[in-house]
Amino acid sequence: MITRRNLLKTSGAAGLTLAAGGLAAPAIAQGARIKVGYVSPQSGPLAAFSEADQFILDAFAGSDAGANFEVIVKDSQSNSNRAADVASELIIDDGVDLMLVASTPETTNPVATTCEAEEVPCISTVAPWQPYFIGQQGNPGDPGSWERFYYSYHFFWGLEDVISVFTSMWNQLSTNKQVGGLFPNDGDGNAWGDPNVGFPPVLADQGFGLTDPGPYQNLTDDYSAQINAFRSNNVEIVTGVPIPPDFTTFWTQAKQQGFTPKAASIGKAILFPQAVEALGDTGHNLSSEVWWSPSHPFTSSVTGQSAADVAAGFTAATGRQWTQPIGFVHALFEMAANVMGRVSDSGDPDAVAEAIAATQLDSLVGRIAFDGAGLPPFAAANVAKTPLVGGQWRLRDGGGYDLVIVDNSDQPDIPTGGVMEEITA
Amino acid sequence: MTTQTQTPAYVVTTQTKASQITAVAACALLAALVLLPFVAGRGLIQDLFFVLTMLVLAQFWNLLAGYGGMVSIGQQAFVGMGAYAMFGGVILAGIDPIPAILLGGVAALIVAIPTAFFAFRLQGPYFAIGTWVIAEVMRLIMAQTQSLGGGTGTSLPRAATREMWATEWIAELFDVRNSAARDILTYWLALALAAASIAAIYALLRSKPGLALSAVRDNPEAAKSVGVDAGRMKWVVFLSSAFGTGLAGALIYVQKARISPDAAFSVTDWTAYVLFIVIIGGIGTIEGPIIGVIIFFLLQSLLADFGSWYLFTLGIIGILVMLIAPRGLWGLITDKTGIQLFPVRRRLSGGTQDTSDT
Repeated sequence: MITRRNLLKTSGAAGLTLAAGGLAAPAIAQGARIKVGYVSPQSGPLAAFSEADQFILDAFAGSDAGANFEVIVKDSQSNSNRAADVASELIIDDGVDLMLVASTPETTNPVATTCEAEEVPCISTVAPWQPYFIGQQGNPGDPGSWERFYYSYHFFWGLEDVISVFTSMWNQLSTNKQVGGLFPNDGDGNAWGDPNVGFPPVLADQGFGLTDPGPYQNLTDDYSAQINAFRSNNVEIVTGVPIPPDFTTFWTQAKQQGFTPKAASIGKAILFPQAVEALGDTGHNLSSEVWWSPSHPFTSSVTGQSAADVAAGFTAATGRQWTQPIGFVHALFEMAANVMGRVSDSGDPDAVAEAIAATQLDSLVGRIAFDGAGLPPFAAANVAKTPLVGGQWRLRDGGGYDLVIVDNSDQPDIPTGGVMEEITA
Repeated sequence: MTTQTQTPAYVVTTQTKASQITAVAACALLAALVLLPFVAGRGLIQDLFFVLTMLVLAQFWNLLAGYGGMVSIGQQAFVGMGAYAMFGGVILAGIDPIPAILLGGVAALIVAIPTAFFAFRLQGPYFAIGTWVIAEVMRLIMAQTQSLGGGTGTSLPRAATREMWATEWIAELFDVRNSAARDILTYWLALALAAASIAAIYALLRSKPGLALSAVRDNPEAAKSVGVDAGRMKWVVFLSSAFGTGLAGALIYVQKARISPDAAFSVTDWTAYVLFIVIIGGIGTIEGPIIGVIIFFLLQSLLADFGSWYLFTLGIIGILVMLIAPRGLWGLITDKTGIQLFPVRRRLSGGTQDTSDT
């Protein structure tokens, strides 16, 4: 009987995989014993998140700890149907002992849900914990019905952190405290705009006025309604979590229509230098949350490198500027090495899940421990928080942008490189 | 089977030798597939689940486009509504996921009625675009339904999937874990749905309404002139296709256990792939989608890890088949061999020889 794996094996032998080499071929790092599955969006609109994957996988495979692992990499194609499918292939066909998954709730949630159903341990990152945790509950609107997970664990920051970072950046400027929100109708947008756990209640507490024109669909091509609403309410600060192409559209139209806020603090869309470069010169002083940078005072538990070393290594290997997911994807593999180092039988899912829950790791992105610090009780068992600061993109002489950390009020250990500046028209 | 009687009567038959062999082989294959979980691993069972559900979607699209002449590219509307109705039944009403699948079929049937009202006013390409627009509207509506997760999507509650009907019995029978038992259960349901769809569509095509349907497809005006109620036939086909597609959608999402509007109303997953299957297999035949789904599965197994190159390849193959063999691969086979496994053409046989030269 022809099965998918037999075919894959045959085709691999036939060199088909080789023929398509550098395109999007499945990377299989041959190791020894512990099988780890890794799912990330390597193609499609979210591909920027996975830009550093190959660099990190190579570094991990070359490390002492990495020699004990066989990492099987799958591409979610930025599609949540596909993410669930590849997760179940990794579990059923490849029999992975541990699943790692990164980048946006659209990738982490279907994979974590599959792992939870299959009782396979799963560690995820690069999605704020609210859309990760609440987004996987049967009824997101009813906190009483929320249940903890037994095999899925997540490390990243939460909305409370990004709200705190953004407001503290805005407080560095003198504004009229009128905020405009761009919250799309997707996993992140609904969480950010949520009237209970999102931006609205905190902004009201801190004396900010919020203009939220309501959730819009991703890939909308006309933002006149939002821009007009912001203008008529005299908005001086724009925030939100659009996907990269949408922010480019919004910002270009805002400029064309003569709307220039003093601050624009945007999650997700302007994480990457390429996205800011796409705005030409108008990206100067846009601000964003910073979860990792070369100046973060952390070192890798696997390679012993500092954040600056890892970022420099990436630039040397690829000729490209560092991006934030480098630290977190690296930390995902640090977690795998650390957790598997503490279990006697890597094939026992319950023992592995127990070891994940007991993690106390000083990683490249800071300390990871599932001790419930800074979290509400319902999420305490499954989530570990990592530090968050704020940064601004500054136009570099001779083209290109640099991300400069301008706010560290929540994390004084992470050094700043400047202070918040106003956007000028 | 040609029945010869004493009186030289003419007999209308549709059966052929090949179709008789097919009937026997199909029964044997069905029995083998039912018993397959006893010997096969989970990987194969999941792959077959995928093949069978895509086959159901393809058969219903083929009924609509190939026999009914209605080229819809909005089938994802019924997949999505079926899936969301199932989720609604489970999450909001506390129904077990298995009976909730029926709810999916009924919901798709209900939304198909207003859809048909609008879409039937459109012809040809306008009909195709109209159905797509309606599907997009449904996606946007579900994205606003916060009780089912809105744009974020939602997962089936853990308790509901673990305690699904018959999973415990299957888990004991096969001595497997709960998640594997769920795969076997959904596989059996997919097998039953695929077999029932093919049987029902074949029965419809061989009946008198089926003949009327072919007449309407070939020329609605001519069909009306000989007394065929063309409008009624279109309704029957559109609604039954919606019902079947809704059932398949609900079943697919019982297995996936996680839904979001973009996934459930995905035009690529539930319409473009289905079109591809029917076009390369052979539109307007029951054999076509069967061949098409096998080829599609093989291509996906080989190429799906190559991301966008996979979609390029599917597109190029689709275009080549349309240019070289407009009636699909099954069309090529019948042209060469004259074999028909599911014949629907009525042939006149019997009678006496002397009628041949008039």
